[in-house]
Amino acid sequence: MTSLIIVSVLAVAVLYLGLFKYKTALLPVSVTGLLAAAAMAAMDWDLEKMYFSEMMLFDNYAVAFSILLILTTLLIFGLSRNYFEKISNNVAEYYALMLFALAGGVVMVSFHNLAMLFIGIEILSISLYVLAGIRRKDPASNEASLKYFLMGAFATGFLLFGTALIYGATGSFNLAAIASSGAFESALFRAGVLLMMVGLSFKVSVAPFHTWTPDVYEGSPGLIAMFMATVVKTAGFAAFLRLFLMAFAEASAFWAITVAILCILTLFAGNITAVFQDRFKRLLAWSSVSHAGYLLLAILAVGFSASSAVLVYTIAYSLASVAAFGIMILVSRARGNDHLDSFNGLARTNPFLAFTLTLAVCSLAGIPLTAGFFGKFYVFKVALAQGYTWLVVLAVINAMIGIYYYFKVIIAMYMKENANAVAIQLNPGFRLVLSIVVFLIFLFGIFPGLIANIL
Amino acid sequence: MSWISTIIFLPVVFLVIILLLPSRFREWYRYITLGTAILQAGIACIIYLRFDQAGSDGFQFLEKVPWIHLSLGNLGRLEIDYFLGVDGLSAPLLILSAVVMVAAAISSWEIKENMKGYFALFLLMDAAIMGVFCALDFFLFYVFYELMLLPLYFLIGMWGGPRREYAALKFFLYTLFGSVFMLLVIVGLYFSVTDPVSGAYTFNMLHMMDAANFVPGAVFSPEVVQTILGVPARLLGFAVIFIAFAIKVPVVPLHTWLPDAHVEAPTPISIILAGLLLKIGGYGILRICFGIFPDSALYFSWFIGMLGVISILYGALNALAMKDLKKLIAYSSVSHMGFVLLGFASFTTEGTSGALLQMVSHGILSTMLFFLVGVLYNRVHDRFIPNFRGLASHMPHYTAFVMVAFFASLGLPGFSAFIAEAFTLIGTFNSQSVNGLLPRWMAIAGSLGILLSAAYFLWTLQRMFFGTTRFRGGEAWSKQLIDLRPHEWAVLLPMALLTLMLGIFPSLFFDLSNSALANMVQELFETGKRHLDSLQYTNNLRF
Amino acid sequence: MLLQSSASSYLPILIQGIMALAFVGITMVITHLVGPKRRTIDKLTPFESGISSVGNARSPFSIKYFLVAILFVLFDVEVIFMYPWAVNFRELGGKGMIEMFVFMGMLLLGFFYVIRKGALDWEK
Repeated sequence: MTSLIIVSVLAVAVLYLGLFKYKTALLPVSVTGLLAAAAMAAMDWDLEKMYFSEMMLFDNYAVAFSILLILTTLLIFGLSRNYFEKISNNVAEYYALMLFALAGGVVMVSFHNLAMLFIGIEILSISLYVLAGIRRKDPASNEASLKYFLMGAFATGFLLFGTALIYGATGSFNLAAIASSGAFESALFRAGVLLMMVGLSFKVSVAPFHTWTPDVYEGSPGLIAMFMATVVKTAGFAAFLRLFLMAFAEASAFWAITVAILCILTLFAGNITAVFQDRFKRLLAWSSVSHAGYLLLAILAVGFSASSAVLVYTIAYSLASVAAFGIMILVSRARGNDHLDSFNGLARTNPFLAFTLTLAVCSLAGIPLTAGFFGKFYVFKVALAQGYTWLVVLAVINAMIGIYYYFKVIIAMYMKENANAVAIQLNPGFRLVLSIVVFLIFLFGIFPGLIANIL
Repeated sequence: MSWISTIIFLPVVFLVIILLLPSRFREWYRYITLGTAILQAGIACIIYLRFDQAGSDGFQFLEKVPWIHLSLGNLGRLEIDYFLGVDGLSAPLLILSAVVMVAAAISSWEIKENMKGYFALFLLMDAAIMGVFCALDFFLFYVFYELMLLPLYFLIGMWGGPRREYAALKFFLYTLFGSVFMLLVIVGLYFSVTDPVSGAYTFNMLHMMDAANFVPGAVFSPEVVQTILGVPARLLGFAVIFIAFAIKVPVVPLHTWLPDAHVEAPTPISIILAGLLLKIGGYGILRICFGIFPDSALYFSWFIGMLGVISILYGALNALAMKDLKKLIAYSSVSHMGFVLLGFASFTTEGTSGALLQMVSHGILSTMLFFLVGVLYNRVHDRFIPNFRGLASHMPHYTAFVMVAFFASLGLPGFSAFIAEAFTLIGTFNSQSVNGLLPRWMAIAGSLGILLSAAYFLWTLQRMFFGTTRFRGGEAWSKQLIDLRPHEWAVLLPMALLTLMLGIFPSLFFDLSNSALANMVQELFETGKRHLDSLQYTNNLRF
Repeated sequence: MLLQSSASSYLPILIQGIMALAFVGITMVITHLVGPKRRTIDKLTPFESGISSVGNARSPFSIKYFLVAILFVLFDVEVIFMYPWAVNFRELGGKGMIEMFVFMGMLLLGFFYVIRKGALDWEK
């Protein structure tokens, strides 16, 4: 709880720092605040505290995901020095909005009441609608913002409608009360579950509700797209799983088949479309759709260490995404666009960047000794333990497709030449963040027990 | 650290040194790599000498350290160990790897650009290959197996020929296609096997090989028929892992990556591909497919033998048609690896020993052959057979080694391949009377393959080396085509001596593996038979 | 209080909805049919306080109107939260008082931010 307060107050503080033109203090204050928030979150470990008449529950699940969200944001902030300054004058607002979004994310992973879930999602989404449209003069950014807003508002409608129906069926917003209501057979409850599933699927871009993803990612500034792919997706899935684990677990026989179908659709839609992309940002967007599919696989295994699987997977995915988007930003800034051809010859000009990106896409693809491999392995394992053999076989086929398109960028970097490429200059923030990410991907790849034993 | 860990991690240590050395010392990289390979070969000698040959059926040099331990809630605990050891099956291959690595390190002298990256990846791959042969934990095996792929992908893709991207990606996707599905079977096995001491689920391959450790009623339990999607689970599991390794071997319908990869790869990588990677396929089939699923192996033995025969004949016929010398040798590899499959399928001690010796012998011979192609290619950047004529008088030493390699490969008595192929065929021939698994005509078809290999090798010899000297490149080529240099001698001479030695004193090899293989074959056959009889699969695949 | 409800409990709402829509539809149709019609030019031109109409009705005007309007609505709505607090003032006690002050403080921070940013400066 303290961490949530710190994040919210920090956002306001950053806003006021900007108001009084202390631009140089923005980043140090944000980083210190986030570190404090992470530390305070860690203090809540094993306390299992309820707040506001059971509106929120800070159990270990909430703490672990809060810390993950905060640290990911910290990594993104590490990349943002001199980034927003180039886009607009209102730098403080961007930091503040990202912090507000983070606060929403923390609420989403610690809710114990459907009302808080809704509030968390709205805080997160509304900040993002603005962030997506940050480049006011850029039509693509405007399109992204508008599209995201319309789609998001539409999805929120579904979510609210589902919440209302569940309230109608069970008479409560409280997760524990819903779980013990025994109203799982009623048509109202089932309709409510399905509608909430649709609403959440929009938010985490699960097919067939994913269509906004590539356009919004492409139109948004790179760092915001990175934020969407990491923090927003992690928060969305943590909320998804928390809801289905704590409230709907007993009714899993009913919704499991729907989630399984969504999972297959998402995997194929994401991976097959990604194969045909020739812009790296769009490729990452589609790959982020496909990763939602793997995460759904873990949700199917509710109760069988699904939360641990989702945590491991999101950690691996967030780390790799930070690196991949970060290098995409550098390359598209230096070479004018994010076309795959822009990556030609990167291995010669910037061996460190090429190596980092290789490691990141290997982790996304699930090559052993990277964090992503163990994430996939773990997810497949819990799904197999639940008997979803067919589904895992399909997921494995998709992992194969994934490797094909991830390797396109490796081919570009290492095997194609670009005669007039010059080395890209890295600022210290980038160098530090990318080094940390490389280290962590290896560390969690070789000793996955470090993260898999948390939950 | 015991010897095995040292042989695996020595390259990693030197890899770090290479990465830390600034590029101005780039000439040193080669010597560091060569030094590593020679040190490894030294350790391999120590392993050979210290190996208890009488007790080669048990694992030696064992090492076990806990690696990943996590609690999975109601799924119990996940325990992955760093578990290494060698027995009579893996020791010869481990030693072969060390020898081939030295040859590959020497032939890496031809690499001129981006040397830091090349030698770093080379050493990483070296470590992974050693690891594959020693890993006794299935998860660890998988990690080494995959770890080997990525450096190879880059080594082919960055230092290869003109179509290298295509070849590298094709190679990578083919192998990965097999191995990701293998991962699923690994997980299935994990849920089926428990540690007899602690009772926890385990990835330990030794436990997986013992039928007593299977949980009754688990998906891969050998006691009752469990089905996955209507197919008996054990047969499906066997088939999936078999396909994964068959892609590596390569067995004929799955072989198409091999010619492409060989044609595009630089010489040292071709040497490693043919000399070691194909052996990993064979090793995996015997150790894992046959070891864990003996009943399925018996069930499919006719089919496996048939695939072996098809590989032998198809590879040989293709080799006859090739105009590119490197492609010819690549297809001859397909053909020779077919014998390995045939020998395994026979379930006889002779056949299996022959197949293992064939792997070792082919490891040495393909190293020589690809190195010889590399010698030619480095001089004139051409290797099309019709472009050369009468090389014998122009490069007499070179031709002498080519003749040794060719005659050894086509199975001339006195060389290792003769013993290997003869034992394989004896085993196959006996199979009908001993255990009734393979019909006799398979042995006859196999010997037809030897005849075909004689045809393509001798024909190539005649086309390229005999007759009046005439090159497509004219005078310029005559100047460039100088005879062997000292470092080329350093590779070819020991290799030629090795194949000769194994051909004259095959007991050097058989002593190492015999008791292991004899025990293993008998045990596999008995347990396999028992389970197969109790499982009673319907519609037998044996025609 | 009825905690459990089924789909049939919503039937009255459905009926009410249908009735409401039907009323709108029926009255529109009936007035259209019943009323007399006299189409002259004067009758069809828009009425602008007796002055003859000038230009297009859909002309753009300053975004500042929207901004002021939306800010007004925002603060207006948030002030509504004061009412339930005022009603339950005694029950909530001192803790409620502090919480309300925190809330008002946040609101004021926002208000100050808006003013400082110049969102309400008409001339800027």
